[in-house]
Amino acid sequence: MGAWRYERGDLMSAMITDNIDKVIRAIVAEILEIEEDKITPDANFVGELGMDSMMALEILASLEKKYKIKIPEEYLTKVTSLQDTINIVKKIVEKD
Amino acid sequence: MGNLLKDKVALVTGGTRGIGRAIVFDLVQNGAKVLFTYLQSDESAGIILDEIKELKGEAEAIKADVRLYDDAKRVVEETLSKFGRLDILVNNAGIVKDKALMLMDPADWAEVINTNLTGYFNMSKASIVTMMKAKQGVIVNISSVAGVVGTARQVNYSSAKAGIIGLTKSLAKEVGPYGIRVNAVAPGYIETDMTKDLKQKDDFIKKIPFGRFGKPEEVANVVSFLASDDAKYITGQVVKVDGGLAI
Repeated sequence: MGAWRYERGDLMSAMITDNIDKVIRAIVAEILEIEEDKITPDANFVGELGMDSMMALEILASLEKKYKIKIPEEYLTKVTSLQDTINIVKKIVEKD
Repeated sequence: MGNLLKDKVALVTGGTRGIGRAIVFDLVQNGAKVLFTYLQSDESAGIILDEIKELKGEAEAIKADVRLYDDAKRVVEETLSKFGRLDILVNNAGIVKDKALMLMDPADWAEVINTNLTGYFNMSKASIVTMMKAKQGVIVNISSVAGVVGTARQVNYSSAKAGIIGLTKSLAKEVGPYGIRVNAVAPGYIETDMTKDLKQKDDFIKKIPFGRFGKPEEVANVVSFLASDDAKYITGQVVKVDGGLAI
């Protein structure tokens, strides 16, 4: 029984992870008001995609709501690319 | 207990004496739950908490130094942890070190700017993300007529209090789209520890059309009004409560 629970936890984690970049890309696209294909994993949100501090906050708030996590305010300056954002969310989800 | 601020949670800095103390009581009596900070007297804080308990109000006191950003963060976290939300921030903690400029040390300048202006920056910054996420919130900054028209022998205080007005207006414009209101109250001469040792009080009174100093409660009433939904279309304003001193 213990082994089954461990596998199920892994499966849940995997499901979240597979979906995560699609979901985050969609959220970012909506908030930055740009097409999803412009959001490559390393495109810089501020320099290339026109994000300001208010949009950064909205992105974090949307992710908190979506994944039921709490992202510390210090991460506001770390939301700099799609890949960075995905890494932040994964880190916090895995901690919980 | 009134309903003006029912179910709201307020954070007040410098709540054990003077105007801050009156603000704490007024907010409680209007139905708010209040967390207030203080720097020195545990005993005074305890007495206030007991009095609030007698009034069937809810409050907590926390020793904190607004000059330190980490303390400001700690205070906001404590408010969220104890009361689950933060609706109102009243920046009130302030000091004076009055001297003619020629006698004013750099330390006299720095201490007043640090507590009175940087303290307000620290508390506002520590609170703002919480309010922006909630898409609501109210900040009331206690300025002074010294910040509006200047007072002699208070270059440090007048500068800090004028700075608070700039902070208020700037922040009001910045966070208005998030449903957050930021206003300032500018008291004139009020009966508190800060004015009790003023020399030549009569000279000051001659300048006040009402012919008297104000009471802390008369400032607190205005703070509660600005914090409430009765003021929901008011932001970026400076309301003088000065008996006509600086018309």
